[in-house]
Amino acid sequence: MNNLSRRSFVSFTLASTSLLAMPAISTGSARPKVVVVGGGAGGATAARYIAKDSKGAIDVTLIEASKHYYTCFYSNLYLGGFRDYDSIGHSYDNLSANHGVNVVHDWAISVDSSARKVRLGSGATVSYDRLVLSPGIDIKYDSIDGYSVEAQTKMPHAWKSGTQVKVLRDQVLNMPKGGTFAMVPPPNPYRCPPGPYERISMVAHILKEKNPTAKIVVIDPKNKFSKQGLFMAGWEKYYPGMVEWIDNDTHGGIKNVNPETMEIETDLDTFKADVACVVPAQRAGAIAMNAGVTDGDWSPIVPASMQTKADGNIYVLGDASVASAMPKSGFSANSQAKVAANHIRGELTDSRVFPAKFSNTCWSLVATDDGIKVGANYRAGEEKIEVVDKFVSKTDEGNAKRKKTYEESIGWYNGITTDMFS
Amino acid sequence: MVKIVFKFFIVISCFLIFRGLVAEPLLDGADFDYGEYLSGQCLTCHQNSSDEGIPAINGADAVYIAKKLILYKNKELENEVMQLVASALDKEQIASLAIYFNSLEK
Ligand SMILES: Cc1cc2nc3c(=O)[nH]c(=O)nc-3n(C[C@H](O)[C@H](O)[C@H](O)COP(=O)(O)OP(=O)(O)OC[C@H]3O[C@@H](n4cnc5c(N)ncnc54)[C@H](O)[C@@H]3O)c2cc1C
Repeated sequence: MNNLSRRSFVSFTLASTSLLAMPAISTGSARPKVVVVGGGAGGATAARYIAKDSKGAIDVTLIEASKHYYTCFYSNLYLGGFRDYDSIGHSYDNLSANHGVNVVHDWAISVDSSARKVRLGSGATVSYDRLVLSPGIDIKYDSIDGYSVEAQTKMPHAWKSGTQVKVLRDQVLNMPKGGTFAMVPPPNPYRCPPGPYERISMVAHILKEKNPTAKIVVIDPKNKFSKQGLFMAGWEKYYPGMVEWIDNDTHGGIKNVNPETMEIETDLDTFKADVACVVPAQRAGAIAMNAGVTDGDWSPIVPASMQTKADGNIYVLGDASVASAMPKSGFSANSQAKVAANHIRGELTDSRVFPAKFSNTCWSLVATDDGIKVGANYRAGEEKIEVVDKFVSKTDEGNAKRKKTYEESIGWYNGITTDMFS
Repeated sequence: MVKIVFKFFIVISCFLIFRGLVAEPLLDGADFDYGEYLSGQCLTCHQNSSDEGIPAINGADAVYIAKKLILYKNKELENEVMQLVASALDKEQIASLAIYFNSLEK
């Protein structure tokens, strides 16, 4: 007890009082409790940092549905044949072995924020002093007419990694000679702004080699996209004549998709595809909705801490949050997790809380040894996370630089996955 | 040539600091806890496992780290990500990061 500071003693006493009121729940521990839902870029990082930096003073439980986490980052490189599938899979073993995180593989079904309890699929409940939600995205299946859960085997979105990316790769490899690959990117805001365009590059990379007369048509619900000039210059350089990008103003809007006939209908035309990757609109993972911390599709947060505006005991990280200027990326989620971890430790153990600092860099691969990047620093404004400074790769920077950028992205991938799972 | 002189300078200064012969002004105001927090931003990329594409800096000499960060801050070393990160760091933050990374296992 002598390690416990006054503030944590108070929260401990409060927790014990509520335990007395509800004797059915036993925490089995006098330490303050943090529950993290979702073991992805945001959640795994938060769980690891809270456990590691508090040196056992905080009891951390991570609730994650899957036994293995297959990263969305680098899933496009798997698609393009630059990585094997196993190399993008990670286990949670080290989080418990090295940092004492209690990893529970189950679904969090609901949150009772007044009793501070999370109910799991198994029926068990876990109580918390602070709750971190980093559930990533849910797909809004009904945002495109004709799309559905069933449609995703015929027209995979492959936007949550896992088996759909494998399905998509098989479909691309088995596409008829001279066939058409259609891509429908999602509308803003969505997970990984450059992701659809890196995916197009990787599909083009396979087709150039295996099916050079094939065509790629991109039917975009937007009129512009991330790193557009760099991607379009790359497509022209490496895959001349293969990629046709059609903006929303030109096609007039996507009316519906038909997974049976593999057609995509717009105001302008009906496109028939041999393989189609259709990525619908997105929203925060369901558990954030259930916890009552969303406004519309996403969770508004307090920039200085990542606490939700709705409930100071609940933090939302990563894709599910409204991080304003920060894109929905793994790097962003990892960066936000550290701000939240520092704040939570401060609240529960009186450790020092430092001013929030955020950063992000998104690397993309356009072709073999041709990497590009975009990045920024951010600060916590009163209402929003704001950009401090930013950069983007240049179109004329030369091959050596591009190769270095690609190599840097490999370092980043190894770095961030170590930062999440070691 | 500049690089060799720089390396030589670092070796000599490490030696002197190690011997406790000079106080290193670059590390003035270093705060270990602050360094631990700030390091989060670096550790997304700089890990022992990241080496090659991105150098591993765990256990590196503190003065060496501080000097590198200052060179990036002054845009005397190239790399957009590092220039961006370093441009947002003040002297105390650089010193704090330097001693924190120095404390990590190689
Ligand atoms: C094709 C593609 C390429 C990308 N490339 C990059 C890139 O190069 N760089 C980059 O930084 N980002 C990239 N991203 C984006 C990145 O993957 C996401 O932004 C990041 O994963 C978001 O982290 P998160 O913690 O919010 O969610 P996730 O990483 O998705 O983690 C959420 C986790 O929560 C679990 N979960 C959800 N709900 C529950 C529940 N109720 N109970 C239990 N568990 C639950 C899920 O199983 C999942 O493991 C890419 C994305 C895609 C699709």
